[in-house]
Amino acid sequence: MTQANITIEDIQVSNDDIVAKLVKFQGQLDESNVDEKAKIIYELIEQTPQNLYLLFDFEELEYMNSKSIGYLTDWYTKITEGGGKIVIAKTRSNILDILQVVGLTQLINCYATMDEAKFALLQPAGGDEN
Amino acid sequence: MENQNPTQMQNPAATLGQGPSQPQENKPMRISITLPTNAYFVSGIRDFTLGLIRNMTSFSEQWAFRFQSVVDELCNNAIEYGSRPGEDIIITFVNRSNESIEISVQDTGTGKSKMSAADLTQLVKERRDPNYVHTGIRGRGLSKIVSEWTDELEFKDNENGGILVKIKKYLKDPNTPKSTNPLENPTHVVLN
Repeated sequence: MTQANITIEDIQVSNDDIVAKLVKFQGQLDESNVDEKAKIIYELIEQTPQNLYLLFDFEELEYMNSKSIGYLTDWYTKITEGGGKIVIAKTRSNILDILQVVGLTQLINCYATMDEAKFALLQPAGGDEN
Repeated sequence: MENQNPTQMQNPAATLGQGPSQPQENKPMRISITLPTNAYFVSGIRDFTLGLIRNMTSFSEQWAFRFQSVVDELCNNAIEYGSRPGEDIIITFVNRSNESIEISVQDTGTGKSKMSAADLTQLVKERRDPNYVHTGIRGRGLSKIVSEWTDELEFKDNENGGILVKIKKYLKDPNTPKSTNPLENPTHVVLN
């Protein structure tokens, strides 16, 4: 199995109505591991079906295949249906390229820095310029 | 060109990054790799593809990563649907220096979802329709990644009952933008 890790940290927020998490991806998400790793995010969604705000840190994500992108799309759908939000930070150019070619950047905004991503994640609905 | 030893390359030029094995100018470099039907081995093919494109062709770094994805998607499809466990898939690279790279992946047609070349051609055509909505986890590999990043995509029925998928990308494709770094593409995403 190809090496990949997903780690989760809480993001402190002043609004008690939402749950915000920083989700760090490391390694390569491919056919050999993505089904197993995807369960970690689905567990998060199951624990907090409403108002879940996720900041995906892709700085150390080296590869993702089409199935990983399929999962990302499914997480986006489930989380936004529950009033939550996903943003992506610090994506490598090859990952950004593949997100673009499948059209995912039209759904999920990507930011160059963690501060920008965190700001975009936590700003009130309707205030996102992207 | 098939090699009996899985993952062993036939062409000595496959020893990447070692100067003496550079291909002759006008002779296509052909490398075939036989893999068992196990997704575990595909990460090695991705690494190989990246090294091959970087070191043995004139394609850019961006295209090295793109071909890595294209090969990964083709191999995964062949392993998941084309050849049953215990059998093989064959990946062949043909590099025509300063002209094009051609990559083909063939399966044995014994996998869990046998389709004809005509079926696959139709499937990709339907999924490339701008109005097609991808709703499932699967289905983006051929129609989005492989189709978008190649100049030619062809499916052929093999004599053995399997499918051969062949892609080709020309180095000097007039349709290829000169600068396609997504970080520099203002239509890509706003980062402020």
